[in-house]
Amino acid sequence: MEEVPLLKELYAKYLDQGVAVVGISLDDELKPLQEMVKSLGMSWPQIHDADKSLMKLFNVRGTPTYYLIDREGKIVAKDIPLKRLGSAIDDLSKK
Amino acid sequence: MMCRRTLNRLFGNAANLLGWALLLSLTALTVNAQNTPAPNKEMDRVQGMISQAKKDAEQFSKAGGKPSDANNPNLKWAADLWQYREKHPASPATVAATVEALRLLNRADHFSELYAKTDTLKPDEAAWKQVFNVLMIAASKSKDYSYLISKAEALIQTAPDREIKSQAQFNIGDAYWRTKDNDRARKAFQTVVTEYPGTSWAEDAEGNLREIEFLNLGQPAPAFERTTISGDPISLAGFKGKVLVLKFWGTY
Repeated sequence: MEEVPLLKELYAKYLDQGVAVVGISLDDELKPLQEMVKSLGMSWPQIHDADKSLMKLFNVRGTPTYYLIDREGKIVAKDIPLKRLGSAIDDLSKK
Repeated sequence: MMCRRTLNRLFGNAANLLGWALLLSLTALTVNAQNTPAPNKEMDRVQGMISQAKKDAEQFSKAGGKPSDANNPNLKWAADLWQYREKHPASPATVAATVEALRLLNRADHFSELYAKTDTLKPDEAAWKQVFNVLMIAASKSKDYSYLISKAEALIQTAPDREIKSQAQFNIGDAYWRTKDNDRARKAFQTVVTEYPGTSWAEDAEGNLREIEFLNLGQPAPAFERTTISGDPISLAGFKGKVLVLKFWGTY
């Protein structure tokens, strides 16, 4: 959860540059997810992956895990630490 | 129960009975302490060593100590915990002491000692489950997976436990995958799936096989269509033309 402020910053910075963020929560219950989204003010869309099907589809082995996908829908980075995500996005914008 | 009834018949009087009962239970306690150590006491003792080791290591690193320094306290604690294992092979805390001793050797970068000690573990030990994690970290630190792979191959032959065998086979796949030998990784993961169906390792191996096949950098991300928690439809295709960050997370 300590990553949320940093991700919010990143989201705000890149929103105008055509960068989208989607949260995929692996929680079993919906309620704690709704509460945290509200209390921490996460404004990007959230999917509740209750049946873990997206987790399996992307072979996610732990949380948090970030995937970066380019404008054509191709995988650019996986398992990337949040602190390197900004520069990876910048690299994409230069292309 | 039998004892008590016999005593009752023998002495009949309550004071005497109490005295005998006290003596008997004291004897039982002493015998118990000699044969099988009290589980909680032993766990507390080993946990105490582990937490003291952690404190010493923190202090050492704060004072500027490096992992490979000869006076790294992790070495002393590794030796003490290993000694505990050798003195108390049947204690309920032996698994914890074994795993921690090996973990501390890994933290001190003492890989050859770590491997020599690991060689003395018997194939049926419960510690293997966690020892594999230690060996994987050591291998990735030293960039040498050969010990892990050969140990895992040996265990597949000798371990009586299917869970340990499947974990060993999975670790072989993981080791090859980390060294980017995808052909061997694929083969090892495939073996986990076919030889150990129904295990958690088979499920993980299937996920890794899919990742090796479909989730490489440059490949199209797998398509999905879902509904957000606010009730809006959402799909990968809907983000075409945008850079997309997917964050898998949990509130826990």
